[in-house]
Amino acid sequence: MTIRFDRRSMLKLGGGALAASALLPRTAFAQSTSINYWHTFTSQSEQAGLDSVMALFKAAHPDISVTPENIPNPEFMAKITAAVVSGSRPNVTMVSSERFRDLLAMGALVDMTDRVASWERRSDFDNSRFDSISLDGKVYGVPGFAFVDWMYYRKDWFDEAGIAVPTTWAELRDAAIKRSDPAKGRYGFGLRGGPGGQNIIINMMEAFGSPVLHADGSIGLDRDKAIAAVDFFAGLLVKDGAAPPSAANDGFRQIIEGFQTGQTAMIYHHTGSYQDIASKLKPGVEFGTMAIPAGPGARVARLAYAYNTITKEEGADAAWEWIKFWGEPDAAVAFLEKTGYFPASTVAAQDQRIIGNPMYAAAADTLAFGIPQPSFPGAAGWAESSVLPNFQRVLIGEATAEQAVDDMIAGLAEAIA
Amino acid sequence: MAQTRSGSKLLWDVISYAVLVLLALVCVFPIIWTFLTSIKVEEDIVTREMVYFPTRFTFDWYVRLWSQSGYPVLVMNSLMVTSLTVLICLLTGTIASYAFSRFHFPGRTQLMLGYLVVRMFPAVLMIIPLFIVMRQVGLLDSTHGLAIAYTSFLLPLFVWMLKGFFDAAPKELESAARIDGSTRLGAMFRIVIPIARNGLVATCVFVAIAAWNEYLFALMLTTSQGSRTWPVGLQLMVGEFQLPWGMLAAGGMISILPVIVLFAIVQRVMVAGITAGAVKG
Amino acid sequence: MSRAAYPPPRTIWDGINPIRMIGELSETRYWMYLLLLPSAMLITAVVLYPTVYGMQMSFREMRLNRPDLGTDWVLFKHYARMLADPIFWTSLRNTAVWVTSSIALEFLIGLIAALALNRNLPGTKLLAVLILLPYFLPNVVAGHMWALMLDPRMGVINDLLVKTGLLVGYKAWFADPATAMAAAIIVETWHSFPFFTLLIMAGLKGIPADLYKAADIDGAGALAQLRLITLPMLKTIIAAAVILRVIGLVNSPDLLLILTSGGPGRSTQVLSLYAFQMAYKDFNFGYAGALSVVMFVLLMLFAWAYIRLSKVNQD
Repeated sequence: MTIRFDRRSMLKLGGGALAASALLPRTAFAQSTSINYWHTFTSQSEQAGLDSVMALFKAAHPDISVTPENIPNPEFMAKITAAVVSGSRPNVTMVSSERFRDLLAMGALVDMTDRVASWERRSDFDNSRFDSISLDGKVYGVPGFAFVDWMYYRKDWFDEAGIAVPTTWAELRDAAIKRSDPAKGRYGFGLRGGPGGQNIIINMMEAFGSPVLHADGSIGLDRDKAIAAVDFFAGLLVKDGAAPPSAANDGFRQIIEGFQTGQTAMIYHHTGSYQDIASKLKPGVEFGTMAIPAGPGARVARLAYAYNTITKEEGADAAWEWIKFWGEPDAAVAFLEKTGYFPASTVAAQDQRIIGNPMYAAAADTLAFGIPQPSFPGAAGWAESSVLPNFQRVLIGEATAEQAVDDMIAGLAEAIA
Repeated sequence: MAQTRSGSKLLWDVISYAVLVLLALVCVFPIIWTFLTSIKVEEDIVTREMVYFPTRFTFDWYVRLWSQSGYPVLVMNSLMVTSLTVLICLLTGTIASYAFSRFHFPGRTQLMLGYLVVRMFPAVLMIIPLFIVMRQVGLLDSTHGLAIAYTSFLLPLFVWMLKGFFDAAPKELESAARIDGSTRLGAMFRIVIPIARNGLVATCVFVAIAAWNEYLFALMLTTSQGSRTWPVGLQLMVGEFQLPWGMLAAGGMISILPVIVLFAIVQRVMVAGITAGAVKG
Repeated sequence: MSRAAYPPPRTIWDGINPIRMIGELSETRYWMYLLLLPSAMLITAVVLYPTVYGMQMSFREMRLNRPDLGTDWVLFKHYARMLADPIFWTSLRNTAVWVTSSIALEFLIGLIAALALNRNLPGTKLLAVLILLPYFLPNVVAGHMWALMLDPRMGVINDLLVKTGLLVGYKAWFADPATAMAAAIIVETWHSFPFFTLLIMAGLKGIPADLYKAADIDGAGALAQLRLITLPMLKTIIAAAVILRVIGLVNSPDLLLILTSGGPGRSTQVLSLYAFQMAYKDFNFGYAGALSVVMFVLLMLFAWAYIRLSKVNQD
């Protein structure tokens, strides 16, 4: 047998040598490493959180300079698509779980399996934390922080009317109806029918027993159950009058402002808006936090992570330092204190500063039963361009729940075809 | 007869004033409201009862915006892109427009339509291929590259618009100059362009505004803070509608600032152009 | 060649003087083509490749998030899908409403403002600046300003309408399909009518005053003068302005993207927005390409028909 020096093995050898030489002079060149970081932070509190993590990182790694580039969610996929197609990707990109499969399919992500496996803080994280960023045994990112779904409610109003905190969607509906008084411009539930509302609608369908896809990747939407879910959820506005009439155009800003100004009594969001709410209303007195109620089919609260991923081979070592740093308890807690976002690290989540605060109890409970979002190529696009507009059609009385669900199923069939 | 004539003139004067004042109010009200919002404290903005005049003045939004947005860099980028675009259009578009206006030659109509057709292909889909081209020639994420991209759809606008003004300039003066022995080149620069100066300024203003305000190309073709333009910088800060209203309003107000400065300059040139035109008439 | 009209070179400098050389060139019969060369080259370089690339995408399977499907030619698959796609037809109808209403309003208000300003009444110079101001604002800024004013919770327009008794309670303009498109058209008109004002004003300066004096002597009234002198004289400028504005309205999704994203339901979904979402949310570049080609063809047909009907090219 002869040793064949074909092109492929030569390249492999050369690549290995290159990688090795890249590692060797690292200390000598480390002074000037600069990486850019694409993230989707936008609110003032998120910005403050990022600033404090960056300040800590700078102190720990004076040799690496991180340039953050803020790419908000609505523009994010367009920008990253263009960057990938033209080959001008950033070093590190923040990727939410529902975008993972799209980005992987585009070839935007770098395999991080080996780096993650040899990371000294790997044991701080439950294995499940990496589920939404892994495919076929390969890991493509590290969770930076968690999105834990929960709700805010007006504790003072609930106490005054003697209403118990709802634990099922049926109870929530009763409470919402009780707290609504359209003549005074008060509504029980801040329904998000505008941008970003699509995920909540999908959660509702799953809570009514109709998951998006089966485990084998076939359509899991159960027509009858999905119709019941849409009928119930849109019904909060169209039947019960328990949601503001502006619901069909209400996005994040509108539901937050509605709650802050006392228009609504309950809103569905995640812990990331805690500081925004607490800046207007008194925690534990005027408002409280509660876990997402259970539906007739399941209790669906999402436990999603913002993953930091390496999106360029160049500067990957410096990028890895930055990504790892988000797993440090000090960084994670500093971020939580500015924003409300939960640490992804199991160890950091046990920090006294978190478990000692009763307002975070609902989120801590949710960590036990929260489940990841459905993730498949085209998931985000289907949610945004089929689920949301069809749900809006029900809200504005242009379609029945049956018609809307039929269109959603047709859209899903097209997305996964 | 003279009585009714001046009577109807008075009537039209009154109507003109009424229309103009009403329009001006409608045009300015949103801007005034934005200004009021920008100097209100948060409690006066996010409130159940409408607060028309701020109970407390604050310049906090402006300070925060200034420190967070890198406004000077963004505006410099916008200025750079805008002036480059106008310059390229002036250099290449003026002569093209002149050719379309003054010569009848085979293929003229087709070519003119060709210039227009260029504008018609949706930007949404031109962006990705353009992105690839820009990257290959190393102009991606640079103000130069963006200016060239703008030229692709603003140059046709420039040519078409300016042709209207060249058409309106009387041809007799030019013929006279030609009889006096001037070349076509000489007649173009010494006679026709000065006469159409008025329209030239107006056309440049249009191109400048379009370049200044453009959002989609700027969003997609620039990535770093170093080459981002102001509309993109502002929209990225607004993000998913999470920027406080006060700061957003402050952003709106300071985006008017450079425009007013530019307008003050252009207004002068325009008035000069108009009076020159009046002497000619 | 008509070079004889030019005196022969006398000195060496005359032989190499660039201005003189171009001057000589200007007397050749290729002069107009030379004048067109720089701009044509620039446009071709920047536009040709992207356009051809975009068009060929519409005949391919091209889903960036589905590399498993490959990028084979699929001929007219996307166009066939479009015919059966109710969202396409809704978008087409909405595009027609969006463009025709906006253009009609913008042109009308723009013309009225220009005519009033052209009377050069004392004090109107300041009013002119105020009236032109909206056009100088980026779409992004204009969109957000109006989003604040039309907000269902803290919008000043709601409050004013309620205080004056025109409205019973605050209205969520963008959550009601009956008002969402109308509100967006009003914002668009507010922002862009000065385009027509500026252009028409500049055009009005070019109309010789003698024509109006003659008409005055003939006893023609103001409206007759408008119909018989002003509008015909402005024909080219108006035609160019309308075509350019129509292209802008059809192709640019900016404002609707900020105000409604096509909602509620599909009531403000237009073709440009649909193509944008198809490309950058669903990553289906093939279908987005087909939508773009259809928009392109529709615009071509419109421009061709409009130029034919308005006879602007027969001067």
